Amino acid sequence: MTVRAVKQISIGRNGVGSFILQCKKMDFHYCDWAGSSKGMNGFIKSLLPKFAASHPQVEFSVSPRPSKHPVIIAQYINGREKAICVRNMEPYEVLKKAELLRDANGEKLRKVTKPVQSINESVRGVWSPYHGNGLRV
Amino acid sequence: MKRLRLDRWTGQLLLARPGASPASTPRAALRAAAAVPSRCAAVRSQSTGAAVPQIPREDVDDYYDGTDHTRFPPLEPLPPRATSLPSPPPERALQSAKLAALHARLSLPERLPLQTLARALVDASADENPQFNNTTLAFVGQSLINYHVAEWVMCRYPRLPMDIMYATMKGYAGASSLHHVARAWGVEHAAAPGGEVDPGLLQFSLHKPGDAIVGLGYRRAEADGMKKYKWRHGMSSRVVFDDDFGEVVDTEDAKDELRLRRDTEYGNEYTRALAEKAFATCARAVTGAIYAHAGRDAAKAFVQAHVLSRTLDLSKLFAFAKPTRELSMLCAREDFEPPVARLLSETGRMSRTPVFVVGIFSGKDKLGEAAGPSLEVARNKAAMNALKSWYLYSPGEGVRVPSDMLADDARPWEPAYIDIGEVVGR
Repeated sequence: MTVRAVKQISIGRNGVGSFILQCKKMDFHYCDWAGSSKGMNGFIKSLLPKFAASHPQVEFSVSPRPSKHPVIIAQYINGREKAICVRNMEPYEVLKKAELLRDANGEKLRKVTKPVQSINESVRGVWSPYHGNGLRV
Repeated sequence: MKRLRLDRWTGQLLLARPGASPASTPRAALRAAAAVPSRCAAVRSQSTGAAVPQIPREDVDDYYDGTDHTRFPPLEPLPPRATSLPSPPPERALQSAKLAALHARLSLPERLPLQTLARALVDASADENPQFNNTTLAFVGQSLINYHVAEWVMCRYPRLPMDIMYATMKGYAGASSLHHVARAWGVEHAAAPGGEVDPGLLQFSLHKPGDAIVGLGYRRAEADGMKKYKWRHGMSSRVVFDDDFGEVVDTEDAKDELRLRRDTEYGNEYTRALAEKAFATCARAVTGAIYAHAGRDAAKAFVQAHVLSRTLDLSKLFAFAKPTRELSMLCAREDFEPPVARLLSETGRMSRTPVFVVGIFSGKDKLGEAAGPSLEVARNKAAMNALKSWYLYSPGEGVRVPSDMLADDARPWEPAYIDIGEVVGR
């Protein structure tokens, strides 16, 4: 006859209380010889030190991948990873791609049609046909 | 696909060691073939070719794969005895990129060193030595988290029944919740613990669960009988004996059957519970580490940011057995007029999908209202809504908790609302 409890787990929402950057690791692969890596090599020499220093929450690794196009691979907290091939790009274009990967949340890309997504219940409530004065047809 | 015929395999294949062989990369294989004969090259018994002259073993490195070490310097060597230790030595914490990234990702204070964070990632099942595992940190963290959650829930929802209170505590600070918290931090786990593992990985073992105690609670003598014969245990004994979530402190013997199957299955309930516990212990240990190095206020802010900021709908925690009777007892206790259910509106009484809207009134006050497909269901739902609105009374969002008084410039304490207790005790 007493009230009993149902087990539930609280739901976390990133950005409420604390924000955690979803990108946790970035791998930069380059080739010393190939021409498609020219921009990537310039990026690693000139822009990457500053980029890496300004993002201590991301683990960076730079490694050669001879005879292959240069690529940036980012790993995310949700377990997925995203890779962008940066062949024949200028250093600043590579930086743009690195920032794009940094800002992504790792989810598959999908079209967002609603301006707000929320797990809170509606403040206004659900419309009920049994309340109010009714509608005369 | 053709079947492999073992009898046709030559000695070379059988002798080749995967990974460690000199010919692991094509270029290295070419170089090795030109200069240094493979250590494990087999000489066929019927071979007519001249025997390759064997050069002395001493000047060939065992694992040398032909890499140009001036261009690609070798990885940092492990300190001696690293592989024989149960967990990574503390000095390696400074070299781990994963650990530094985790420290920055959680915005941990500068005063919290990487060595302590590394220690928070070593579970008692990986390293039994309490000076190197996270047991002590987790005990502090568990006490802190449970204290902050409990005081917040009690001040924010003063009328919750004890069972719901325990469920709320578990929903926020229980092992499965904190497991999600630690996962959301990006904590990864190592496949197996050991001294050679990166210190930035969570280390726990599924083969020998550590017997570290990270919570308060007595192990009941009658725990086995409670499980086997479903002996009744009332709320009062749960408050006194059991852990912070009102759950019986479990004995490991009960899981023998699952433990036996852990290696044959990909993962079972037992291994999942162990992994969940390890992640939760890690989250608690990080909180304890913050308290140890940065103090009380930082730890409280951390708990608020990572545990209390999560969403839990308390109205979904209630399961009523006889809501109408409980509501009439509540009204009798509070000197309200006895509750009366009235039909507010209805439609399609004779149809396949009727809807009745029933309100429960005490005198002229409406206590609750609900719609249902029959009069009985609608009345029960209305009574549940009335009870929930009683139990979930809240003084407001910005309610003060006792630990607010620990601040130096705290206003004088105004007593919090205390309810007289549950409607029906158990």
